[in-house]
Amino acid sequence: MLSRSADSLFWLNRYIERAEGLLRTLHTSYVLSLDKGPYVNDSWTTILDIFSGFSDDEKRRVETTSAIIVEHILLDPSNPNSLRNILTRARENARSMQDHLTKEVWEQVNFMYHRINSNSIDAQLTSGNEIAVIESVLTNCLLYTGILESTMFRGMSWDFMNLGKYIERCLLSIDLMEKQITINDLSEEKDILYWRHLLFSLSGYEFHLKNYRSQDANQNVVHQVLLNDLFPRSVLYCLQHIDTYLGNIVQANDPADPTGLLRQFGRIKSSVAFADEHMIRQTGVPQYLSRLRSDLYAFSSTLGQTYFSYA
Amino acid sequence: MERPTYRLFVLQIAEQQPIFYFNPINMSIRELLNDYTPAQGWDEMFDGSSVRPAYQPVMDRLAAMGFDAIQKYHAQAGELFMSQGVTFTVYSEDEGIERIFPFDIIPRIITGTEWAQVEAGIRQRLKALNKFLHDIYHEQHILRDNIIPAWLIASCPHYTREVHGINVPHDLYVHISGIDLIRGEDGRFYILEDNLRTPSGVSYMLGNREVTKRLFSNLINTNPVRMINNYPLLLHSILLSLSPRNVRQPMAVILTPGVFNSAYYEHTFLARQMGIPLVEGRDLVVSNHKVFMKTTRGLEQVDVIYRRIDDEFLDPISFKPDSILGVAGLLGVYRKGNVAIVNAMGNGVADDKAVYAYVPDMIRYYLNEEPILPNVPTYLLHDPEHRAHVFQNMEKMVIKGTNQSGGYGMLMGNKASQEEIDLFKKKITDNPREFIAQPIIRLSTVPCFLDGKLTPRHVDLRPYALCGPSGIEIVPGGLTRVALKEGSLVVNSSQGGGSKDTWIID
Repeated sequence: MLSRSADSLFWLNRYIERAEGLLRTLHTSYVLSLDKGPYVNDSWTTILDIFSGFSDDEKRRVETTSAIIVEHILLDPSNPNSLRNILTRARENARSMQDHLTKEVWEQVNFMYHRINSNSIDAQLTSGNEIAVIESVLTNCLLYTGILESTMFRGMSWDFMNLGKYIERCLLSIDLMEKQITINDLSEEKDILYWRHLLFSLSGYEFHLKNYRSQDANQNVVHQVLLNDLFPRSVLYCLQHIDTYLGNIVQANDPADPTGLLRQFGRIKSSVAFADEHMIRQTGVPQYLSRLRSDLYAFSSTLGQTYFSYA
Repeated sequence: MERPTYRLFVLQIAEQQPIFYFNPINMSIRELLNDYTPAQGWDEMFDGSSVRPAYQPVMDRLAAMGFDAIQKYHAQAGELFMSQGVTFTVYSEDEGIERIFPFDIIPRIITGTEWAQVEAGIRQRLKALNKFLHDIYHEQHILRDNIIPAWLIASCPHYTREVHGINVPHDLYVHISGIDLIRGEDGRFYILEDNLRTPSGVSYMLGNREVTKRLFSNLINTNPVRMINNYPLLLHSILLSLSPRNVRQPMAVILTPGVFNSAYYEHTFLARQMGIPLVEGRDLVVSNHKVFMKTTRGLEQVDVIYRRIDDEFLDPISFKPDSILGVAGLLGVYRKGNVAIVNAMGNGVADDKAVYAYVPDMIRYYLNEEPILPNVPTYLLHDPEHRAHVFQNMEKMVIKGTNQSGGYGMLMGNKASQEEIDLFKKKITDNPREFIAQPIIRLSTVPCFLDGKLTPRHVDLRPYALCGPSGIEIVPGGLTRVALKEGSLVVNSSQGGGSKDTWIID
């Protein structure tokens, strides 16, 4: 496969995964901002920090005006992380290697692009239909995942796409977790209401209620988001999938693995697979997370040098 | 929660749009047709006031569908093209805008007998043009025998000295061509121009048929319309047959200038339909007199390049040094015979609009046959007699730049102001070689569904021909381009043209 195509496939899925994460987080923030509970003031912090182009001053100013925030996060062309920009980039990637996608996948990406750029979206937002807009685009992201799953041929395209998807998902889980614990540190006991924002954003609230009975919510959340391999947005789950797809790619391209990609990744994976929540809390969760992220960045750049260099 | 379904969404948008623009009363098709007044000249559907027999079944079907349905299908067709990304890019003020190529839902029909003649004419013409290209880049007998003046070739900017003496596989130069035909007032087909470099539009031809099949399945299955959709397979087998390396699976690629090119959709379409990689210049590299592409596995050798880039951008070492679209050193590999390039380099000399005037002579010279399809009469403006005649009759002439395409750089004498005419006269006097003149021909018309009415619009026809080692295949049909502006004779998409599905019916 052309290096350029592999690069585009990888980024196409990173962008769509990012879009999905953005929408779920935005949805959570919006819904929680309507609850006048104990943590309501923090409901917009996470999304503004990760996905907005606002300065700290601006953030404080807009914090209570959901309409401005939603518009900025979804549509603002000057915000590099707005959904419109993310989907535009996803589509640019898809457009430049349609020969590696099925027609159905391409049409779905193209549809999402046209939808986010249509006038009807602006109209719906200004008429106060934020939730409906967020939900309909989110549904389309999920539809994309389904279309990919049921129409894409398995092979190198599929492997590169999934590699992108799980790397992005892993980084997003790390980011969201990190934001949530920097709002308040973990030294004091938090109840589940405090963690609702994170768990809804990762679509893991119900999973949490079903699976964790003990009262130590902090401990439980650390376990769920980092170490629970049954939870599809946990760091460990993502790493296991990266492992599979990376293995396929190395196998198909250069079975000798001259760059040691597999070893580099193996070190990252074992630092999670063989950890436990006590050890992580001893290291300090923020320190542990930021170490994990910088390791993943380094891995990503080796991956790029190995397979994506073409210009 | 709102759950839009995937496929149906297209239809939902279409239905939200107001359907009646001009016809508050539900007008029947019969009434629409009664309002239809064919323009002067040859109308493809009407012979005087009666419908030509080939069109009768279509007319009956349309009448049975009713006006509402046609309006709805018309809107749906646009949405279908948009959702599939069948677009081209128009550039204005540095900003590219994606547009769909306007599509008219009423098909253009050509009978099998008429088609047989078109096919024979194009086949003959391509044979002669191929021989001409081989001759002009080798012995140049046609110049020595004074059939074509040598200075005309020497002054052609697309005559490429760099490829002189290069032998190409099977002596084939024009693998893919789009020869434009028009139908005059007498109902005869004329050759308007030859496109022998990288003619585009074939994806619209195929796309139009797919849309017609979806919208009018009941219309098309009751008519014996010849199939066109094996074009990509034919092209693929021709590309593979040109491989210089004798291997089981030669590597053929399409070389595109990139996503900003206005025909990018077509490049991706063809790559998908043939299952071959779509590469850009930066994906390729020349090493040891071979072309390679950069893959995740390392370098892989490329045998055949179907390029959608003009000659002068192909190799910065030999041609434009500042171009980044091509591959440095490609010409050297080509000369060595280690890569096949489709269409061959240097073809521009044969579709120069001044050389066009000599194609009938080429047919007589190389094939010893009379041309089956006539040229449009063409005046060469370096000839003082021709020029004087043209200058006296400017209002009846169309002036074209010999190396312009896409409807740019031309003058329609009947529409131009006195200043424009004077300006062109001056340009012609300064550089007579760069212009030709042709009498304005009233192109045939076909009814189009515009603004809720059936109105006549002028059309041309671009059939696509493929030449391989085993002969010439012409796809039965082609792209019918429509000048959407009333009275306009310019059909190019860049000048507001549209298209129609084209049926060959036996």
